[in-house]
Amino acid sequence: MAKTAVRLDSGEKGFFGSFGEAFVKGDIFTKLSFVIWGLGYIGHGQLMKALLVTFVQGLGLYFLATSGIQSLMKFGTLGTVKMESTFDFATMKNVVNNYDNSFSILLLSVVSIIVIVAMVAAGMMVVASNYDLQKIRAQGKKTNTFLQDVNVYLNEKFYVTLLTLPVLGVVIFTIVPLFILIAVAFTNYDQQHMPPSDLFTWVGFANFLTLFGGGGLTATFGYSFRKVLTWTLVWAFFATFTTFFGGVLLAMFINDKKTKLPKLWRTLFMVSIAVPQFVTLLLVRNFFSDTGIFNTMMANCGVTGLLRNMGLIHTTYIPFLTDPGWAKFTIIMINIWIGVPYQMLIATGVLMNIPADMLEAAKIDGANPVQMFFRITLPYLLNVQGPALVTDFVKNINNFNVIYLLTQDVFATHDQALAASNAKEVDLLVTWLFRLTQEYYNYKMAAVIGIMVFIVCAVFTVVSFRFINKREATFS
Amino acid sequence: MKKAIALTLAGAMALSLAACGGSASVAASESTAQSGAAESTATGAIEDVTLTMWGAEEDQDLLRQISDKFIEENKDKVNLTINIGVQSESECKDTVLNDPEAAADVYAFADDQLNQLVAAGALQEIPAEMNLEDVKTRNSPASVDAATIDGKLYAYPLTADNGYFMFYDSSFYTEEDVKSLDTMLEKAAAAGKKVSMDLANGWYLYSFYAGAGLELGLNEDGVTNFCNWNEAPGADVTQAIIDIAKNPGFVSLKDESFTGELKAGNLVAGVNGTWRANDAAEVWGDNYAACKLPTYTLNGEQVQMASFSGFKLIGVNRHSKNVGWAMMLADYVTNEENETLRFEMRGQGPSNLKALENAASPALTAVVAQSEFASLQRVGNNFWTPAESLGSILAKGNAEGKDTQALVDEAVAGITAPVA
Repeated sequence: MAKTAVRLDSGEKGFFGSFGEAFVKGDIFTKLSFVIWGLGYIGHGQLMKALLVTFVQGLGLYFLATSGIQSLMKFGTLGTVKMESTFDFATMKNVVNNYDNSFSILLLSVVSIIVIVAMVAAGMMVVASNYDLQKIRAQGKKTNTFLQDVNVYLNEKFYVTLLTLPVLGVVIFTIVPLFILIAVAFTNYDQQHMPPSDLFTWVGFANFLTLFGGGGLTATFGYSFRKVLTWTLVWAFFATFTTFFGGVLLAMFINDKKTKLPKLWRTLFMVSIAVPQFVTLLLVRNFFSDTGIFNTMMANCGVTGLLRNMGLIHTTYIPFLTDPGWAKFTIIMINIWIGVPYQMLIATGVLMNIPADMLEAAKIDGANPVQMFFRITLPYLLNVQGPALVTDFVKNINNFNVIYLLTQDVFATHDQALAASNAKEVDLLVTWLFRLTQEYYNYKMAAVIGIMVFIVCAVFTVVSFRFINKREATFS
Repeated sequence: MKKAIALTLAGAMALSLAACGGSASVAASESTAQSGAAESTATGAIEDVTLTMWGAEEDQDLLRQISDKFIEENKDKVNLTINIGVQSESECKDTVLNDPEAAADVYAFADDQLNQLVAAGALQEIPAEMNLEDVKTRNSPASVDAATIDGKLYAYPLTADNGYFMFYDSSFYTEEDVKSLDTMLEKAAAAGKKVSMDLANGWYLYSFYAGAGLELGLNEDGVTNFCNWNEAPGADVTQAIIDIAKNPGFVSLKDESFTGELKAGNLVAGVNGTWRANDAAEVWGDNYAACKLPTYTLNGEQVQMASFSGFKLIGVNRHSKNVGWAMMLADYVTNEENETLRFEMRGQGPSNLKALENAASPALTAVVAQSEFASLQRVGNNFWTPAESLGSILAKGNAEGKDTQALVDEAVAGITAPVA
């Protein structure tokens, strides 16, 4: 919120250097402006600006005085007074004591810390800017009027004006929740410690220990984490590459000169995009249920009996979504079906960009279609789509929809150790996290898993982009 | 002009960021200490009170009707507005616990959620001056027990038939047949029909183990469980369930699939609750009958299947701004007149003793007959997933051939695990 008061460059000396110089060499107004931002501007003849910055500073101080500081003082314990209520018959209402709400203490503390850091930084900038004004006046020149300043932000520094809102948005809606998520991972915020009726407090690294199987409460959490993480990565790999190659092949078939009515085929495959994904998934879940239409068809045409004779199933139906192995297979297959059309679209565009003379030359040199695919088309595609594949992989690590909608209420885990920590064989880290918060209110473990997901995605992205950049450098 | 567009875009971007990232639920802490004393009803001025009540989707008309009567009867004392919202009773706690302060003032829920709701401080204890004695005496003792923790009443009993029992087609089975599960399965298998029960669900699975005298319940901390299913004869019970699951006359159906199979004519009997009674009555017509659960064979002896009893309760949110009026409303919804009305409109068995005298249905009779073998559902959250996992292994006839003792050992380890 103090960002709007940021003005003037502080030169080449670096932020702290220019502040130090300004503070030491500044006149009394410059020095005072660190405490009350407006004083310096009044002293240097910029009244309007003085009012504005003092107003912003006032807002910040008001927030800190009314709720920020109170919360920060309780930040060490996250509150000590539990909620108590007694019914008052005369007023027909509950009389509630002045209790602590651990969550709002945590929230307000995080906000306060951000506000304090921003205000100190802004204070330093104000001092630096006042020193600049002081120097301008010492040289006998005139300082900018308010209107001139406004003009600066509409012309030379228009980028500052543009970026203010998005930056504020990122801070409020991304940075603050992220800090809170990280903080919750170090508390015991769970079903037994739920605000407002109860308090939660700091527990250090206990939750991380639990996740890695050391000590902790549920002995199987470490086991479950390993299993879920493995399946998450396996799933992300298969989901990304099956849809990618499926899309490329489909696009090549449709683009082939011998294919008749390419537009019709393309449109047909696009139709599946037109139906909202979750509707498709819920319908498909019913098709593939143990007593669903697909099983009836399979039983009628004898596939079920055949599979049973081969020893692949032990039931009178095919457990498409109820047996761990089958469910994983079915999920990947269904994902191919709903993911390929998107990849086909992208691949179509990229394929059309492959220089035709290159393919022509290869053909004249006697290359067969397979050679052409592996030597020309595929390297070209990978080169162009590499970054997109990385993002797809990360997206698939967090592919909540497909897994959750296909297996929720249908799939029951057969691994009793997984069941003890509320995980399932088909869970991704995100769906496990979702179930922990929505059904078991285990926010602390969910926060730890959230951090793990972040680390996995971050590491993967950094490593693969390094790899891609290196390759790109050598490719061209 | 370009800049104006750029500015608008930047603003839109910030807004969309706001829309995506709005995950931080800001729980405002208010010091409500002063809220009570400020207004007093003694001045004679009629107060404005707004209440929100949550109930099942099918109950909306009924609740509206009852609320309108309540408003009318109290219009000289208070200016009431009652909003009614849809919230399924079986999943009420999920919504309430997400943010107890934002939940309705009055809400209906199934009694298995009582512990968690009380532990989270989401329920108002009913104080003596609010008609407590009457509530305790007018309802059946079992239903009052279901709403009581540590001697304190936390909710108003609403219905008494939320447990499970056996439905059957009386043109297929005689009253003698339905006493033994073996006979039932045998006859069904011979006719190519099925008897259904959802084994992959801790709620029903409990029936076999509890019938054999094994114990499951809540520890004093109110969240963790004790369970001795792995002691004798637990492994034998497990084997008995596997045998039942493998019987060609048996099928383990999820609640959602039950009605479909019933209508397809594949079922001749099934273990389920009153919420499927209408479907069964529709399919079997006059031959629809209900009875207590049968016996099953354990080590060559017949053992009566036990069950969880079930009640629906109406609770008052402790965080309600008008907790007094909320209690009066909950009290009113569960009085004799309105429970009778509920039975007439919705067919739900009353917990109110006088209303129960005048209510009769096959399902209710079956519930009363089963109640002798039913116990209160007091289990912690950790029971469900391990029991579901055990049940689904058994329902598939233990395909991997795991040792029955190992199966129950692992299930008990999960069920009794500390709450993480």
